[in-house]
Amino acid sequence: MFRAKTKDLRRTMSRRGLLLAGGSALLTGLLGTRLFQLQVAQNNRYQRLSDRNQFDVRIVAPTRGRLFDRKMRLLAGNAESFELYITPLYVDDLKQTLAALGQIVELTKRDIEAVLVAARKGPSFRDIIVRDDLSQRELARLAVRSPLFGGVSFGKSLRRIYPQGSLACHITGYVSPVTAREIERNQSLEKTPYLGTGKVGVEFAHEDSLRGLPGRERIEVNAKGQPIRVLRDIDAMSGKDLQLSIDIGVQLQAAEILRRGQLEPVELGSMSVQRALAKNNDLQAHIALGDDLVLRDAKDRLVPPESGAVVVMDIDSGEVISLVSAPMFDPNLFTGTLLTRDWRRLNSHPRTPLLNRATSGQYAPGSTFKMVVGLAAIEAGVISKNTQFNCSGDMELGNATFHCWRKGGHGMMNIISALEQSCDVFIYEVALKTGIRKIKDMAHRLGLGDVTGIGLPGEKQGIIPSHEWKLANQGRVWTPGETVVSSIGQGYVLATPLQLAVMTARLANGKQVTPRLVKSVGDAAPDFAPLDIDPYALAIIREGMFKVMNGGLGTARNYDLDKSLGGMAGKTGTVQVKRITKAQREEGIVNNIDRPWAERDHALFVAYAPVKRPRYAISVVVEHGGSGSSTAAPVARDILTKLMQKQG
Amino acid sequence: MTVFKILLRIPWHLLFLAGILVLVGSLALYSASQGSWQPWAGRHAVRAIVGMALVVCIAFIHFDFIKRMSYVFLAAAILVLLAVMVIGTGQGVSRWISIGGVNFQPSEPAKLAVILALARYFSSQPHERMRSFMWYLPAFAIIAVPFAMIVKQPDLGTALMLLFGGLVVVFSAGLPWRYVFGSLAAVLAAVPLLWLQLKAYQKARVMTFLNPESDVLGAGYQITQSKIALGSGGFFGKGFLMGSQSQLNYLPEKQTDFVFTMIGEEFGFAGNIFILLIYLLLTISILRISFRVNSRFAQLTCIGIGMMVFFYMFVNVAMVTGLLPVVGAPLPLISYGGTSMLTVFIGFGIVASAIVHDRRQS
Repeated sequence: MFRAKTKDLRRTMSRRGLLLAGGSALLTGLLGTRLFQLQVAQNNRYQRLSDRNQFDVRIVAPTRGRLFDRKMRLLAGNAESFELYITPLYVDDLKQTLAALGQIVELTKRDIEAVLVAARKGPSFRDIIVRDDLSQRELARLAVRSPLFGGVSFGKSLRRIYPQGSLACHITGYVSPVTAREIERNQSLEKTPYLGTGKVGVEFAHEDSLRGLPGRERIEVNAKGQPIRVLRDIDAMSGKDLQLSIDIGVQLQAAEILRRGQLEPVELGSMSVQRALAKNNDLQAHIALGDDLVLRDAKDRLVPPESGAVVVMDIDSGEVISLVSAPMFDPNLFTGTLLTRDWRRLNSHPRTPLLNRATSGQYAPGSTFKMVVGLAAIEAGVISKNTQFNCSGDMELGNATFHCWRKGGHGMMNIISALEQSCDVFIYEVALKTGIRKIKDMAHRLGLGDVTGIGLPGEKQGIIPSHEWKLANQGRVWTPGETVVSSIGQGYVLATPLQLAVMTARLANGKQVTPRLVKSVGDAAPDFAPLDIDPYALAIIREGMFKVMNGGLGTARNYDLDKSLGGMAGKTGTVQVKRITKAQREEGIVNNIDRPWAERDHALFVAYAPVKRPRYAISVVVEHGGSGSSTAAPVARDILTKLMQKQG
Repeated sequence: MTVFKILLRIPWHLLFLAGILVLVGSLALYSASQGSWQPWAGRHAVRAIVGMALVVCIAFIHFDFIKRMSYVFLAAAILVLLAVMVIGTGQGVSRWISIGGVNFQPSEPAKLAVILALARYFSSQPHERMRSFMWYLPAFAIIAVPFAMIVKQPDLGTALMLLFGGLVVVFSAGLPWRYVFGSLAAVLAAVPLLWLQLKAYQKARVMTFLNPESDVLGAGYQITQSKIALGSGGFFGKGFLMGSQSQLNYLPEKQTDFVFTMIGEEFGFAGNIFILLIYLLLTISILRISFRVNSRFAQLTCIGIGMMVFFYMFVNVAMVTGLLPVVGAPLPLISYGGTSMLTVFIGFGIVASAIVHDRRQS
């Protein structure tokens, strides 16, 4: 009995021992499965996590490509800038340290908040930029006191600088910090948030090649965040330098001449000037931008410099030698943190300094459009060199009267004398006979109505109206009266100063000159295709433009380029901004200078020089400058004089 | 019995398997100190040699003596545990006793004492009584007293292992199934009560275990880093001395509780499975001995010790792979730590003694 029981018990124990052995095997299998899951199935994921643990990947910023002018003078470069870092790992009380730093360097509440957020988010061993672009004074003060702060260090980085100041602002554009929207479009920008991107100008247009490629280095860190060693994975590739066709010397002359116009600069120091300034909001906005050029006009009033645009082109190569838009701004303002104050000043400035008038400003071309009409008419066979019309001072069409700028009329005119004296009525007659369609075609062939493709962002195409254009944009039918208005470059017609320079260049050499801002590689000038316009017709128009400067009644006869430099051929344009009422016309046109600035006529002038062997084309727009002959023509003459004297 | 016969009967394969684990452990500790025998690997190997010698020595002790002394061992263990409560050392806890500069953790040999005492208790009683539940109460007391004392230290890992080791003996002694399931239910019911007894950091560990990603840099750090180290090891590992997680100190406690992780990072899935299999082989070898010995005392003792070794391994590996909360349990023979190694070797010695002096063998 007892033995049997003992045997039973022995069996029970053995069974349970087996059960335990089986259970152990099962549990071991469970562990094996778990290990398989971690080490084999999810190996990739953990490998990544391990790498992230082991390495702090740091992006090495590339050096941005520089911009040079045609003589390799620096337009945009990179300057060393000092940054202040903080490493949370080595800081006891981050808030307190930041507050103490705030006593030494300028720190906004937002700066401090950004550091605190970054410290919370990132690993404690990663450096956080507290301030960039430290001034020399801040550096000196920090150098003395930084040993008192643990975890605070300096670093050097590069900052974009524009050594020419505002002079080439509309050409180079500027680099400024990456915006959230840019990151949305291009995710890779997020990796280098401290590298700015070009926002406008060449900086924007050539962003990809200027930017270069960031490199990468991995810093092996241990669990305490102490760096063990640095592994350079990929070297940063600097951006490509770019040589522009601009001549910064010519640019400087052109800007000075355009801005000064025919007016006298005044000394800012005197009390009377200061008193006058205090009352003039326009001037204050101007001076607030850091420009101290103030002029005195014919009526002894203090005025800001002229605004407008100048484009100087090399006719053979299409290279733009100077492209001025006034007023200008300092692109260096944008490279760091743009102060709200500066941004407000730039944006609220009545004369919109950020606008590049040369490529994005659209102006009625006025009488500079008359060459287009003349060419179209000759090509259409409507007129020849000697076809004459009588200008009586006005022209009736239906029940409307269209006036010539000269009240008494010009008498008998042909195309040459009509250009010389800028007779409106002759052009009206010719335009009506030619028709808007052919005028439009000719305008396009001369480069109007289309973007030139110079490669600056925001370039405008202007307007060359037609039947179709009016139907599409106004929903109404074209009227002959609109052909008349368009023929003298008013009404709907709009062109940019750059287009006008291109038109002039094409008239001068009869080829499809296309403007470019980037200096051509090597000396071989591009071979532009011919315009496919009868050379004889072009010669007639050129003779008219020659007479503008040289004819006894030429509208710009007093402003010709010195004969020793080869003289020039040009065309004036004076564009009404405000309609002259019938009453005003009858009592005699109000003198331009007596009207408010914004209501005065725009002054335009286009020219090429030298006459015999055209080399340069120029267009000048002086906003509300008065007459094309007395205001714009001398600007063109002075710029070309400086340019050609320099060329020898 | 002659010395020769005793030597012949010693289960040398246990020592062989243990030797493999010690070797692996020494290599791992060599790597843990960035390729140096100092401070861990060398001492680990020396201790292991001493431990193996101890196994042979204990094999010479007559098993009846061990049986006679088993209650004395338990009493001694409880006394030492009491002493720990009074003069114990440790960071915020009292687990160790310092004797002449050597730190000693009494909770480890207490496991063996409990196993021996239970085996003695069950072997001394006639089988008829084993149906009554009352008869099991003293057995539960043998477990409960040291368990409670170790929980109090606090050292939950060791306490739980002692509990499991004891329960395994009770189970093997023939606890009727209805009691097995009944006590399982009771344990489940006691979980909320136990929860209230836990210290804040223990609760944090459990919560972290349930969701390690909730606190990657805090309490979840260890387990998160351990999983990264294991997972990045892949099938064959990153190579000896090449484990970045371990060498760059991301892995905490890599010489003690997380040594398995380190081996996993450097030797991969293959290395880990090898270790698991050696442990399983050890456990089954000891269980096999339990089938061969004659007395109930010897049988229960062997089962208890075999499963104790297995639990050691299971709790540690489950912990470092994130299957159990981080309770602090070494991997015996591999982890650096004298007491757990000593306990395992004493256990092997007792098993050796059981088979050497078994009546049926002669």
